[in-house]
Amino acid sequence: MVVNEALRILRTVRYDAAHFSVFLQAGSIAAAAKPGQFVMVQAGDGLRPYLRRAFSVADVTTVAGVPGFELVVRAVGVGTEALGRFAEGTPIPVLGPLGVPFPIDDLKQPDRVALVAGGIGLAPLVLLSRRLAERGIPADLFYGGRNESEVLKRPDFERFLGAHRCRYATDDGSLGKKGRVTDILGSALEAGTSYRRVYACGPTPMFRTLAGILDKAGIEGSFALESEMACGFGVCLGCVLPGRDGRFHTICTEGPCLPPTAIDWSRV
Amino acid sequence: MTVDLSVHLGRLQLKNPIATASGTFGYGLEFAGFVDLGSLGAISVKGLSARPCLGNPPPRICETDAGMLNAIGLQNVGIEEFLSEKLPKLHEKGATVLANVWGDTEAEYRAVVERIGDDPRVAAVELNVSCPNVVKGGMVFGNDPAALHALVAAVRPATRLPLVVKLSPNVTDIVTAAKAAVDGGADVLSLINTLVGLSIDVETREPKIGFTTGGLSGPAIRPVALRMVWEVRKALPGVPIFGIGGIETVEHVLEFLIAGANAVQIGTASFRDPGVSGRLVRELADWCDRHGVARVADLSGTLKTRPRPEKTYV
Repeated sequence: MVVNEALRILRTVRYDAAHFSVFLQAGSIAAAAKPGQFVMVQAGDGLRPYLRRAFSVADVTTVAGVPGFELVVRAVGVGTEALGRFAEGTPIPVLGPLGVPFPIDDLKQPDRVALVAGGIGLAPLVLLSRRLAERGIPADLFYGGRNESEVLKRPDFERFLGAHRCRYATDDGSLGKKGRVTDILGSALEAGTSYRRVYACGPTPMFRTLAGILDKAGIEGSFALESEMACGFGVCLGCVLPGRDGRFHTICTEGPCLPPTAIDWSRV
Repeated sequence: MTVDLSVHLGRLQLKNPIATASGTFGYGLEFAGFVDLGSLGAISVKGLSARPCLGNPPPRICETDAGMLNAIGLQNVGIEEFLSEKLPKLHEKGATVLANVWGDTEAEYRAVVERIGDDPRVAAVELNVSCPNVVKGGMVFGNDPAALHALVAAVRPATRLPLVVKLSPNVTDIVTAAKAAVDGGADVLSLINTLVGLSIDVETREPKIGFTTGGLSGPAIRPVALRMVWEVRKALPGVPIFGIGGIETVEHVLEFLIAGANAVQIGTASFRDPGVSGRLVRELADWCDRHGVARVADLSGTLKTRPRPEKTYV
């Protein structure tokens, strides 16, 4: 069930000037949240930012023994910047968990899956990694970022999935292969690796390229899509993306996790 | 003290003056987990057309200071699915339903209203003549008093339900538009719809909204809405009014009532806090109780204005 509750900030961890994690107290959202789902967070009760912002539930965890959940944030505007400025203990309104999660219930051993992260798109894949590990489903991570310092949560991914299953690509070559994340996934597929399903989250150009790769390889995908939204629960109809069926898909309720084949990437 | 929250907008009787605005409350059912739908004065549903409508290509919204721009393009399920799938559930939950309708042409408006007819599950029909985000219809009628008069007059015989007309603020004189709607047969006026706005991404030099312009809503428009309610109330004292525009707190509700509204509609605030409308019903009762107001209807149009000064040249 979706709840609207005020949750205290347990801790804020800064990675660099633009990136941070916010840990919120669990409330009733943490236990209900599935990988790929999101929350709408009101960063303050002022008029700037005015609307809530959507964040993937990055992980369900504890902070000094207190149950909570984590949001991984890149500060890109007034809303995301405001979220990083709250003191620990500040209660903030949170609505969730929202949206359609990554489909994982149908996985069974010996299925093998891949996770593809681009930049801040790592967020929903942390909780997914945790749940896949609990289920004993082997998963390979392909994670691309601008440079090594922007590749976040590496210890968590390597703990859940095994370091040998985590591959990286950076624009400057400071970590892993120099190039794009879709290149290293493409190489793995060309080398004969196959996956039951590929889960991905990242920027639109990554999604577009990946959709083409998966289509060609005949591999099923599930993309955690992003779009600006005012409400998060299917009312404002602001967050739509064009579908292949000619309709517009409401990302907050039909997604955010949708197969790439649902979207008309030529119109995004 | 028991506070009487009921209000009458002509023949339209509401249990309290807190309604929700079309386009910001879906078909009502989406809010069932946050608000007791039966506790609200009324719910104006997403604008309905004769056929389902896909809406505009994205991006459809962007935040602005103290508000947002939208150009959704009146995406809706169409009147048939509304009547068969949504309305029975709303009725079951005890909701007072305002059926907000629109069309590209006079004939399309009339067709939707005829389909609703005198359906007893609908409390009133609300004509949207003021959507700024469609190429045809909508604001084309709202901007031209003669076209507005003709449209309302053409639709009026199609239903015996109270007819509400939601006016556009994108006019030189709101009173002229209000008079045209009332002369055409409107029982109640809703004001205001969104103000046409523009927001630009300076890096790409593109509009932030795919439709280029969008409708501005939220607290940013509240003083404009309040002024228009006051002007129409002065000019047409006998015409009931729904006040709409950036309402978020009980103080905002009171401002609109005092300016001359008989009831209000909560819009964009429901995106920010899905429970706000239900909370405002309780807070309004509390406020009246604390201030010794026995009937909330008595607050309507009680603005005490000061005489404006003559020119004072030195």
